[in-house]
Amino acid sequence: MSDPRFIRNFSIIAHIDHGKSTLADQLLLRTGAISQRDFRNQVLDDMDLERERGITIQMHPVTVYHTYQGQKYELNLIDTPGHVDFNYEVSRSLAACEGAILLVDAFQGVQAQTVANAYLAIEHDLTIVPVLNKIDMPIARPDAVIAEMEQAVGVKPEEVLRASAKTGLGIDEVLAAIIERIPPPKGQPEAAVQALVYNSHFDTYKGVVVYIRVMQGTLRKGQRIKLMRGNTEHEITEMGQFRPTPTGCDSLSAGQVGYFTAQIKNLSDVHIGDTVTDALHPTDTALPGYKEPKPMVFSGLYPVNNNDFEELREALAKLRLNDSSFTYQPEVSEGLGFGFRCGFLGMLHREIIQQRLERDSELDLVQTAPNVTYEILSRKGEILEIDSPQKVPDAGQIEEFREPFVRINFLLPAENIGDLMQMCSERRGVYVRTEYLSPTRAILVYEMPLAEVIYDLYDKLKSVTHGYGTMDYDFLGYRAADLVRLDVLVHHKRVDALSTIVHRATADRRGRKLLKKLREEIDRHLFEVVLQAAVGSRIIARESIAPMKKNVTAKCYGGDITRKRKLWAKQAEGKKRMKQIGQVDIPQEAFLAVLESDQ
Amino acid sequence: MNVLPPWQWPRAAYIHIPFCAHHCGYCDFAIAVGQDEQIDAYLDALALELQTLGTPQAVRSIFLGGGTPSHLNCAQLERLLVLVRRWLLLEAQGEFSIEVNPDSMDEAKVKVLADHGITRVSLGAQSFHPHLLQVLERLHGPDQVARAVEWVRQRIVNLSVDLIFGAPGQTVADWKSDLDRVLALEPTHLSTYGLTYEKGTPLWKQRERGLLVALDEESEWQLYREAIDILEEAGFEHYEISNFARAGYRSVHNQVYWANEAYFGFGMGAARYVLGRRETNTRDLRTYLRKILAGESAIFQSEELGEEERARETLAIQLRRAEGIARCRFRLQTGRELDELAGEAIRRQVELGLLRDEGETVALTRSGKYVADAVIERLL
Repeated sequence: MSDPRFIRNFSIIAHIDHGKSTLADQLLLRTGAISQRDFRNQVLDDMDLERERGITIQMHPVTVYHTYQGQKYELNLIDTPGHVDFNYEVSRSLAACEGAILLVDAFQGVQAQTVANAYLAIEHDLTIVPVLNKIDMPIARPDAVIAEMEQAVGVKPEEVLRASAKTGLGIDEVLAAIIERIPPPKGQPEAAVQALVYNSHFDTYKGVVVYIRVMQGTLRKGQRIKLMRGNTEHEITEMGQFRPTPTGCDSLSAGQVGYFTAQIKNLSDVHIGDTVTDALHPTDTALPGYKEPKPMVFSGLYPVNNNDFEELREALAKLRLNDSSFTYQPEVSEGLGFGFRCGFLGMLHREIIQQRLERDSELDLVQTAPNVTYEILSRKGEILEIDSPQKVPDAGQIEEFREPFVRINFLLPAENIGDLMQMCSERRGVYVRTEYLSPTRAILVYEMPLAEVIYDLYDKLKSVTHGYGTMDYDFLGYRAADLVRLDVLVHHKRVDALSTIVHRATADRRGRKLLKKLREEIDRHLFEVVLQAAVGSRIIARESIAPMKKNVTAKCYGGDITRKRKLWAKQAEGKKRMKQIGQVDIPQEAFLAVLESDQ
Repeated sequence: MNVLPPWQWPRAAYIHIPFCAHHCGYCDFAIAVGQDEQIDAYLDALALELQTLGTPQAVRSIFLGGGTPSHLNCAQLERLLVLVRRWLLLEAQGEFSIEVNPDSMDEAKVKVLADHGITRVSLGAQSFHPHLLQVLERLHGPDQVARAVEWVRQRIVNLSVDLIFGAPGQTVADWKSDLDRVLALEPTHLSTYGLTYEKGTPLWKQRERGLLVALDEESEWQLYREAIDILEEAGFEHYEISNFARAGYRSVHNQVYWANEAYFGFGMGAARYVLGRRETNTRDLRTYLRKILAGESAIFQSEELGEEERARETLAIQLRRAEGIARCRFRLQTGRELDELAGEAIRRQVELGLLRDEGETVALTRSGKYVADAVIERLL
């Protein structure tokens, strides 16, 4: 049994690329948990995709031991994702900690994500240990960045540690600060058991592996436990800690972080945020747990070949095993046939899921443009949740059309404020305020429809600020808006998968833009292909693709016939990758044309 | 063997002569430049390859193609012709064609050809405009074409001329004057080939590097349409996508190909289609000589199509003909019903005005000819 006084639980919060993984590795190296050889392999990120993108999605705890002033301490580092889409997961991690290292790049300075995560940590009453990283870089500007940190999140300049995760400079001071500044966990090892389930994953051999932070009491191997939410009982077959490889132990007591398995077959039996207690001597009160994350962005996923539907279903089910924040349900599109409407936490999440699908299966997929979840108050007084443009009822049945609004924080060079404000007002943003972190850097706050944010805002921000701007947003609620469904007709046939929900005022512009893009994506056919955009029965834009003029090869004699036939086969293969709607072949890319930005 | 139908057992033979004075910019055929010292060995090899026939074969068509068959000197030409005729017996009214270049012709060669039974000469004129001949990297000048025609005409009536359209920079006016000049030569047959940028050819490389700009689709279409208009007006029948003939002068050999019938093939890079099997000889001169002279086969690729594949191929090829596909003959040749293979697609193309269905036959319309590849693709 461990004495909680000698345990410290903490996270590292940082903007992407500010060196979080390197710092984590350095801590592991310094405490002897990994060898020099493993260093920089970024032990914490064990999914390829995460490593490629330098981001962490799934939390992975690591337990290390550090002797400080003659006393051995158990330090539990609980990793956090670094992207706005995964804010919810950050909260989950933070709930298992008493402190957080706020890591800021000494050159890049405070970024939107830094601010967002710092506030999350403050909300969770965590002690913040501010660390300036990459202090050894010649271009570092420590004093200016410390001033930004003070201005943006209120850290005291004298508390900021200076370090280089890459070289190991200042790491001992960081370890000392973790022990000295972060309070020990409060629980009692003898109390009735309360352990927070903060994550889980599925292992083919062991069943569900449950990640826990013990709040009160002690869990032991062989103990009969109860998951309070579902009131199910299990016996702990194996338990341990990640050091960083899974290392078995016989008990985990108040303040400790680790995992257990109990021959649980279905991931759905384990609820994140649930409380684990002793089956015979249960606690009276469950822990507050978490709010379920709600998918904010939806898009349709369809197999190009309708026969692949079942295969796609299996691939999605497999993905969901380890990512419960992603949802899917079957839907039918007139144009695309059978597919699934999938829900994601945000655009990055969507992109990651899509890449995993492509990597793990051989399926050719058509993905429709993403949309947010809308609410419609019907004339009958019901509230309908609309996660697909196809579900929008007739205008006559709509009392009020509502869309999700977010508060969005931009952190950007002061010189770009004007451009950004113009961009935001074009996207129906409502100005809230500007704060200057320094004469050259500012935080700009807007309230804006989420739909406008996912449309192209991130790319635009990057281009306006030459890559120096960052953004972060959180959900405010639903607001009424004058929204309409914009339909697209290809050769006089409505293609439901190309419909989008847009603000009435922008419908004409979006419609024209969309048709122009479609015109580029769809090849010439043997006949004129007519493209139309419509709101209700009103056609608001029209384009046409002129028929093919000449397409005939001159020679085809002798040995050429074999070659010619191979060419036909290749062309036919290309056609197969397209969706045929009516007589028109529509390439996969066309379904994303809706997403293309305005300029 | 001759009891087998012509799509099984050949009534035509192709003999490839790869030697050329120069590699033209657009050409991706199997050729050999600067290796004239191998010509005699090549003729030895051809003799051996022909011998594999076992017994002489009666044919309706022999085609000597290249490369440049006329690049051979008189003695070599004579040897070639004698050799070919020993193994391939031309039926009465049969066609014995040879491809020639304007710059490699002279009166003596024409005499050799005529004396050894050549009945048809196909002359690669390509263009009458020096600047376009230069783009195509042809060695001859416009005047040489007229002179070659004059020599041929003294002894051989059936003369076909090849033209290429769609060269970079070619205008409609350029093309019309080409057509006028070729008509003035009074050929019996014309082939007009739209320039294609075959991968790996000098012209293709130049286009890849941005050194030349290919004509756009609209211009190519105009040129093609002009060719059909002008030549039909002049009394030629547009009997296949790229081929025009005066009445009675369709190429027998071409028609074998476009009917998807069988043919023998001899020589480096030559293709043959015998008993349902397609074979191609190696395109490398040294390999060809080594293999054949060692008594081995020079085949480097070979395939036998399944019934359906063969039927679809037949459909695609026959549709290029003016007469299109005859349903009854198609069934006989392929064992398949045309409408089972492509009935729905045919109806659709008829609606679009690209095919006409006359009950017994299905053929491309005028607009269908312009986009024949796309139409065919829809039927496969």
